Amino acid sequence: MISNKVIEIIMKIVGDENVITSKEERLCYAYDSTPNAFLPDLVVRPGSTEEVQSIVRLANEHRFPLIPRGTGTGLSGGSLPVMGGVVMDLTRMDKILEIDEENLVAVVEAGVITYKLQEEVEARGLFYPPDPGSLKTSTIGGNVAENAGGPRAFKYGVTRDYVLGLEVVTPEGEIVSVGGKTVKSVTGYDLIRLYTGSEGTLGIITKIYLRLIPKPEAKKTMMVSFPRLDDAARSVTEIIKRGIIPVTLEIMDDRTIQCVENHKKMGLPLDVEAILIIEVDGPRLLLDGQAQLIAELCQNNGAQQVRIAETDEEREKIWAARRAVSAAVVQIKPTKISEDIAVPRMAIPEMVRRLKEIARRYQLDLVIFGHAGDGNLHPNILCDQRDHDEMQRVEKAIGELFKAAVELGGTLSGEHGIGTMKAPYLKLEIGEAGYDVMMKIKKALDPNNILNPGKIFWSENNG
Amino acid sequence: MDEKTIKEYLNRCSKCGGCMAACPLFAETQMEPLVARGKLFLIKNYLDGNLDLSKKMMELMSLCLLCKACTDQCPNSIPVDQLVLSIRQEIAQHKGISFVKKNIFQHFLQNNGRLNIAAKMANLYQRSGLQWLVRKSGILGLLGRDLAKKEKLLPEMAKVPFRAQVPKLISVSNPQMRVAYYTGCVTNYVFPQTGHAVLEILRNHSLEVVIPEQWCCGIPALASGDEGSTVELAKKNIKAFQEAGVDYIITDCASCGSMLHEYADLIGSGDAHFFADKVVDLSQFLAEVVDFTPGDKEIGCVVTYHDPCHLNRGQGVREAPRKLLKSLPGVIFKEMKEADRCCGAAGSFNLTYYDLANKVGHRKVCNIKDTGANVVTTECPSCIMQIRHLIELEQIPVEVTHLAELISKSYGGVS
Ligand SMILES: Cc1cc2nc3c(=O)[nH]c(=O)nc-3n(C[C@H](O)[C@H](O)[C@H](O)COP(=O)(O)OP(=O)(O)OC[C@H]3O[C@@H](n4cnc5c(N)ncnc54)[C@H](O)[C@@H]3O)c2cc1C
Ligand code: SF4
Ligand code: SF4
Repeated sequence: MISNKVIEIIMKIVGDENVITSKEERLCYAYDSTPNAFLPDLVVRPGSTEEVQSIVRLANEHRFPLIPRGTGTGLSGGSLPVMGGVVMDLTRMDKILEIDEENLVAVVEAGVITYKLQEEVEARGLFYPPDPGSLKTSTIGGNVAENAGGPRAFKYGVTRDYVLGLEVVTPEGEIVSVGGKTVKSVTGYDLIRLYTGSEGTLGIITKIYLRLIPKPEAKKTMMVSFPRLDDAARSVTEIIKRGIIPVTLEIMDDRTIQCVENHKKMGLPLDVEAILIIEVDGPRLLLDGQAQLIAELCQNNGAQQVRIAETDEEREKIWAARRAVSAAVVQIKPTKISEDIAVPRMAIPEMVRRLKEIARRYQLDLVIFGHAGDGNLHPNILCDQRDHDEMQRVEKAIGELFKAAVELGGTLSGEHGIGTMKAPYLKLEIGEAGYDVMMKIKKALDPNNILNPGKIFWSENNG
Repeated sequence: MDEKTIKEYLNRCSKCGGCMAACPLFAETQMEPLVARGKLFLIKNYLDGNLDLSKKMMELMSLCLLCKACTDQCPNSIPVDQLVLSIRQEIAQHKGISFVKKNIFQHFLQNNGRLNIAAKMANLYQRSGLQWLVRKSGILGLLGRDLAKKEKLLPEMAKVPFRAQVPKLISVSNPQMRVAYYTGCVTNYVFPQTGHAVLEILRNHSLEVVIPEQWCCGIPALASGDEGSTVELAKKNIKAFQEAGVDYIITDCASCGSMLHEYADLIGSGDAHFFADKVVDLSQFLAEVVDFTPGDKEIGCVVTYHDPCHLNRGQGVREAPRKLLKSLPGVIFKEMKEADRCCGAAGSFNLTYYDLANKVGHRKVCNIKDTGANVVTTECPSCIMQIRHLIELEQIPVEVTHLAELISKSYGGVS
């Protein structure tokens, strides 16, 4: 628990109105987009880097945990106060400080909503590509802290590929600035990469320099169905071999297709193992040719049907099917456990087979969709949180699913991070030695274990 | 809504946060307790016994515009407004409602005689110079920070209520249909000119109009958790309109309209369903039931349209008012950005949370301004009061008027 004296000091730092003490309001910062929740002792909403710094110093002095939080859309439990302490809500720091059209750089505070930035830069003919499914609500700070990806990652990369510089308040309360407006920089260790994806455990990100690129002129979208999953995977490889890098290569498995079709009649084929949604972008003149070539390649590789969107309306219809997934799948059962493994692209069919086998063995409902281009699959287990027996089976299935991913040369998490949900499995992938290196970094930078304790590294009491 | 249904809905919230992008209160405050996800989690904790109906809880549950924007975005279509209303009812049952509200809902609203007297008193207050004196004297300023400003939100009452100005049956020769007009309280007591405009339009479509004795739709009571009073009012209205023997019951108020539709579920009887099925919004009626023919007088204005939450999301009416506006002579229609975003009125929300409601409304005013229109229309008297108030505060040269009044100008206006 945090003493009244400390609360008073915090109130002096950020102003009374930016400190949340009532149980009711604290409860609303107890959760993120996972099914778990832990009540924080206090919530503080700083408005500047200096305020963040003062609070971090206070935390070191009085030894309370500090948990940075964007908008709490994380899918690995990263912003949950598993050991109590103070949740630091960064959404008041929501200014876009600069959009430098000459140098193609945006400078933003951590709490800016991803979509807001995208709207602003696109109005200037520029483009910030990372597009997590949560972009209308997540913060850039949260995106950097989780190194968020998105459907466009195959062509354009993930958040990490756009971070040019950071201002970070270290766990002991120093303000560090690394990088800036230059695309190149090799001065010392690459701290930007260290902080990016550090899940709030190594520093509180307050300011971010982001690389922008010119906005592609046009895009073209198509939907291709495959009676056999292996053919879908092979088609993806063929497309890439021919020198075409699609923006998105979204895949949905048969069970996902059934769910969508049951929920909203969209005319999707029910007799296929997979659907691919492929989108290419670039100069308008090139797109028709690319789309034709992709269509041919797919047809030669066993595609049943190819639907190329000729109008915005048709394009919208194709994406509507993909967007309907999250609503459609929870019609089966209310709780959705979203996993986020990634495997080498060619291992997708084998991974899907193993996933289905695991689900069958544990009698669980499983849908699989994801980003086929980068082998990032989202197996979603549909269950009911209130059914304890079922939840135990889910727990076991998840363990096996991670093991399978690692066996196939893959990773536990393509984009959602380790947080608390995957902490017990971290060693499975990085081994004792890898774990040890990470732990040493954490201990060196945060000797008092102030920032986001209980994350990434497994401990008994982080539930 | 029974507890089992409520829990079923609560269980469906995946905390995905989709509602954050839609909620006007979240946009202005970035406060998680104000957004649907937070409210649902609070309600869940209350039902699980982890929270009491504390003062804070009551405050948080009152901080909702019931605008349904979250439901629209929610992948699981959770009816957040209905869940919030259920808790407000729970609060009213356990904690009671204020003495003043109780009096209004259980006595005044149930009794048109008393209501007429109250309106007369208010009108007297406004006309007698007493209002002028109160405003000038700064007494209200002494009473509370915002009271002086809030008092300006209160509308000027009509000298004579609309229903007292018109007969109960307005016949035309060779009527094509017989319809009833549900005037709503605001048209009746505050904006009788809207009522006259509605009649003018109906007359021009050869419709025989019945205006039976009628009562408040009950939405103010329901929003405060007093379902009992709403049920009483619903029963009276259902009976009154049953006797009118009409094909349609026309409303000019989005909130009343959506409430009247809800009688079906609220009362559940065959009569209630029969009643609710007949209720239709004026613009929808004109655009879809009769062959709408505007008059031929050039109106001469650039107009934009604000979607009331309870018409757009509440009753699914979106295209009809636009279609009507576009067909008016001498009218250029300009769509505004975020036309369907709440204006912040939300019943008496703007009285209780004046500053917050104004922040929500400010965005609306900016969007109106950006269209360059000189007239903004809508179909809800409380939206009109709120938008008018803000436009006056921000001194924008835009006229705020009910759709019916604009349409009636094409017939030469109401005499
Ligand atoms: C519907 C939905 C779709 C999603 N789709 C995707 C997707 O396609 N790709 C993807 O990668 N993710 C996706 N996510 C996951 C999530 O949105 C991302 O991880 C996002 O980056 C989290 O941002 P946030 O602002 O919500 O952060 P939070 O959830 O609040 O925090 C996430 C982590 O970042 C830390 N953190 C937050 N802000 C800071 C800061 N300023 N400094 C230091 N640490 C900080 C927190 O401590 C925590 O560990 C999705 C989530 C949902 C609900
Ligand atoms: S959008 Fe719906 S499911 Fe998602 S958090 Fe909000 S209320 Fe819950
Ligand atoms: S009904 Fe409106 S104000 Fe209430 S939570 Fe939903 S979006 Fe927010």
